[in-house]
Amino acid sequence: MTEMACGYAGDRDDAMIAYLYDDGDPAARAGFEAHLAACARCRTEVDALRGVRRQLARWAPPEVNFTVESLTSGVGSDEAATSHQSPATGHRAWWHEIPAWAQVAAALLVLGVSAGVANLDVRYDGNGLSVRTGWATPAPVAARAAQNSEAAAPWRAELTALEQRLRGEIRAVPASAPAPVDVSVPARAAQSSDADLLRRVRALLDESEKRQQRELALRVGEVLRDVNAARQADLRTIDRNVNDMQNRLGVEVLKQRENLNMLMRVSQRQ
Amino acid sequence: MTWTDEELVARSISGDANSFNELILRWERPIYALAYRTIGREEEARDVCQETFLRAFRALPGFRGQAKFSSWLYRIALNLCRDWIRRERRTPVVQPPEDVDLMELAAAAEPSESVEELVSRKDLARAVERAMAALPEEQRTAIVLKEYHGLTFQEIAELVGCPLSTVKTRLYQGLTVLRRELAKNPNAPKAPVFIRGNDRD
Repeated sequence: MTEMACGYAGDRDDAMIAYLYDDGDPAARAGFEAHLAACARCRTEVDALRGVRRQLARWAPPEVNFTVESLTSGVGSDEAATSHQSPATGHRAWWHEIPAWAQVAAALLVLGVSAGVANLDVRYDGNGLSVRTGWATPAPVAARAAQNSEAAAPWRAELTALEQRLRGEIRAVPASAPAPVDVSVPARAAQSSDADLLRRVRALLDESEKRQQRELALRVGEVLRDVNAARQADLRTIDRNVNDMQNRLGVEVLKQRENLNMLMRVSQRQ
Repeated sequence: MTWTDEELVARSISGDANSFNELILRWERPIYALAYRTIGREEEARDVCQETFLRAFRALPGFRGQAKFSSWLYRIALNLCRDWIRRERRTPVVQPPEDVDLMELAAAAEPSESVEELVSRKDLARAVERAMAALPEEQRTAIVLKEYHGLTFQEIAELVGCPLSTVKTRLYQGLTVLRRELAKNPNAPKAPVFIRGNDRD
């Protein structure tokens, strides 16, 4: 077969590769494109190389579940030698080891501890919502605690103000009992202020609940994402294994078929 | 906020442990894919991937940003692949199972359609692996970096340390060899398929 002639003036191979990958000078590309319109040999070769690229696209490395922990552990094991801070201490390493239920429990615990720090005792019972403050303790201690915690969170200031008001009310009541103040018990002298207090506490609780719900939604989202990723990886592994098994089965079937064909031919000859 | 590689490198150097973790998460798959396609063995590719990050971590304080972090990682990985190939002194790209010759199987005289379909599913990928194995190392590297990692000619030239024209020549010669080798595969696809340009996506 006679090879078609190509009269491209420049470096043909260079121009063809630049054209094929669209990586080069636009003017040179336009020039080669014009040449392609006239040169059947180059057109054929470009088409063939495009076909090669299409086939190359079918080659993917096997899926691997990377364990960052092991990689970073490897790095970390050399930490002593290099006296460099190890990335093995990264948040991902420990975060992913904590089960979802423990994460939710931790979120609830944080809420409970916050309430405890704020000296709040919240109860739901037959009498409805009952909020007890722990301010029956001696005043100086309570004052010190309030001072220490004031800077910690914005709601502390509000609680401190409440504390001051309650102290004033307690002093105003003649039979000032040493027991904690029960907000749910109506007191004639401070009915309106109790309602106000209850409203504020409810607002605080609502805010806490919302914060907790946001945290919970975040955790649930993370868990779902992890579960999904694990599921996808498992499905890919199963698919690969099934394909391998089918391949082996196919080979066996073919061998059997060839044996049968041979037996048929032998028996027909006889 | 998403940090750039260079920002993460700077933070890692200054002692932020999580930043190097982030770099690993970002680059472990491309580096593994590069190693697998260069040396063709899954386990060894994983080892190369791990060793690449280990070496990068050790050398991080000396990284001056004269090249992109990714190029620096690729260079480390390619050097490790080259070392592995020299050490092993064997054909570097994946071989099909020893007991099954899939090319012969696909070309068998009277395979039924169903068997042919079953086999051809895996056959093309293996044919590509075989064809890649036929390439000299430098041509294979150029093709892997261009086809699967979307590097520009200039980036490849800087990475492997050769002139830009040499990169194009290696690509042209490599593709030509692949064309010849793949033509032996009767199950080559006839219809166009989507070309994946970049593993990083």
